Amino acid sequence: MWSSVQRWRGVALIGATSAVAVWLAASGQLVLYIHPRYILFTVTMAAIALVLVVAAVASAASRRRRDDEAPVSRGERALGLTAAAIAGAFVIGMLVIPPATLSTATAQQRQINATAADLDALDDAADADDATVARFTVREWSGILRQTSDLGFFADKPVTDLIGFVAPDPDDPENVFYISRFVITCCAVDAQPLGVPVHQPGWQAELPVDSWVRVSGEFGANPSESSLQPLVVLPDAIEAVEQPSEPYLF
Amino acid sequence: MTVRLETPQRREDHRDSRRWGARHLVAAGLGIVGIIALIALRATTAESGPSGLPDAAQDLLTLSTSVVIESLPFIVLGIALSILVQVWIPEAWMLRILPMNPWGRRAVISLFGMFLPVCECGNVPLARGLVRRGFTIPESMVFLVAAPILNPVTILTTHAAFGFDDGILVARLLGGFLIANVLGWLFSLHPEPESLLAGRFAEECRIDDGHRHGTRAEQTVDLFVRESSILMPALVIGALIAGGIQVIVPRDVLVALGSDPLFSVLAMMALAFVISICSNVDAFFILPFASTFLPGSIVAFLVFGPIIDIKMLALMRTTYSTRTLLRVTLVVGLLSAVLGLVVNFVV
Repeated sequence: MWSSVQRWRGVALIGATSAVAVWLAASGQLVLYIHPRYILFTVTMAAIALVLVVAAVASAASRRRRDDEAPVSRGERALGLTAAAIAGAFVIGMLVIPPATLSTATAQQRQINATAADLDALDDAADADDATVARFTVREWSGILRQTSDLGFFADKPVTDLIGFVAPDPDDPENVFYISRFVITCCAVDAQPLGVPVHQPGWQAELPVDSWVRVSGEFGANPSESSLQPLVVLPDAIEAVEQPSEPYLF
Repeated sequence: MTVRLETPQRREDHRDSRRWGARHLVAAGLGIVGIIALIALRATTAESGPSGLPDAAQDLLTLSTSVVIESLPFIVLGIALSILVQVWIPEAWMLRILPMNPWGRRAVISLFGMFLPVCECGNVPLARGLVRRGFTIPESMVFLVAAPILNPVTILTTHAAFGFDDGILVARLLGGFLIANVLGWLFSLHPEPESLLAGRFAEECRIDDGHRHGTRAEQTVDLFVRESSILMPALVIGALIAGGIQVIVPRDVLVALGSDPLFSVLAMMALAFVISICSNVDAFFILPFASTFLPGSIVAFLVFGPIIDIKMLALMRTTYSTRTLLRVTLVVGLLSAVLGLVVNFVV
């Protein structure tokens, strides 16, 4: 058993992960894990891997018993089997558990707006026309908020149809939530949570944490006493929406 | 053209290849059916709605999956290049271009990455192939350390992210080159270089020294089976640990240390160790941190991260012994920290 586990564990793992990658790409969900610019590369290499897997299975039909396997101690054998079992269990998880985006648990753990995603946002916004401002995402707004708290700057710049998921403001979870998105440079591992604070007392009664919403409104001074954000969106409209097909910003 | 000798081995291959027929087609068919079954299983289970896992467990799965999916194409590319080097390229080619002098050899090897733009996880199978092809073990380390930094894709993305600001790009390239060569020199002083290897890999090298079985196509498939069998469990387990630590360690702990000349360097190295991100894109990842962290710490991140991180240690453990990796980590860590401090105090 040891020698067939040792021989076939890699082929099984690489075949299963490549099959999952191909399916994710076909169903448009590869962007849940990696930046779109890698999709072609990933699918190409996964296809090559699958061809080699089929070749490996085919060649098994004529495989002679090889006497060149290195002798392995009992301890190493146990370690190898354990590693193969853990890896196998994980890959089965990849196969049967539905793909998902990162949740607010990670957003909180990584601290929303701990890093500035867009340092040019303020300059770009200063001379943007209304149509451009209306297209601003969480990335632009959070970049601007990081650099200015001058209310005058926001006078003619309303928030229009801003989409994101709901994450509570840790300093005033009753009254303020962040409309948030993860920004990704390479893959979900480096996802940085960004958010725009929204003041809506009692929001938790209607909006579940992690659900997706669309918000329109104006920026204003934050009425909350305990929240650390100087400016918040004072919403005119908040409506629940479906999770977008590309939940992350790139 | 090679002269074909009729050895018993060859005759057996010959007989085998004549029998390439029904049995192999059936096996290949079974393989294809298996892959289709996996895809079908994935497609059906995706319909079942939310998994009901707790958030942290679900995020662990998502993060680890993303490390696996991100690294997978590079591993395949690395195995493919490794097969190319071991099976298809004549031995003489690779060794002929190298200078005889050991310093010169290592310097040239540290520039191999310019022609093999694979990121670090793909370099592990390639380095294994180079050792089997007669490179010394310290030379394989030089390649492993330098190639992810001195490679066109990394240089382009680092330049795109930082330009020539604060000497970050120059410090990264020079630092990577110097650390690789110092490390190679240090290990070349080792009296028994073979003891640096992991037991199993050393054994394999000794056994397949010289003689090869079967046709090139058979060797290709055989190498693919062997390399994937060693690298894939390591990749999955490295990804699981990297994902697990990210779910547990709050990132603001690291960020809080950002503005101190010494602690910023150490914090960034810790971040690089945890995040296990690919060298081709780490510059974009770290760019948002540039406003809160000193330039030396960014350089330390960009030099240390490609070489030493959780995923890489798991992968390198397939080839080098634990003791060797501890020493490599120590040397690279110290040199990266010194480099970061120099940049912090000089620039």
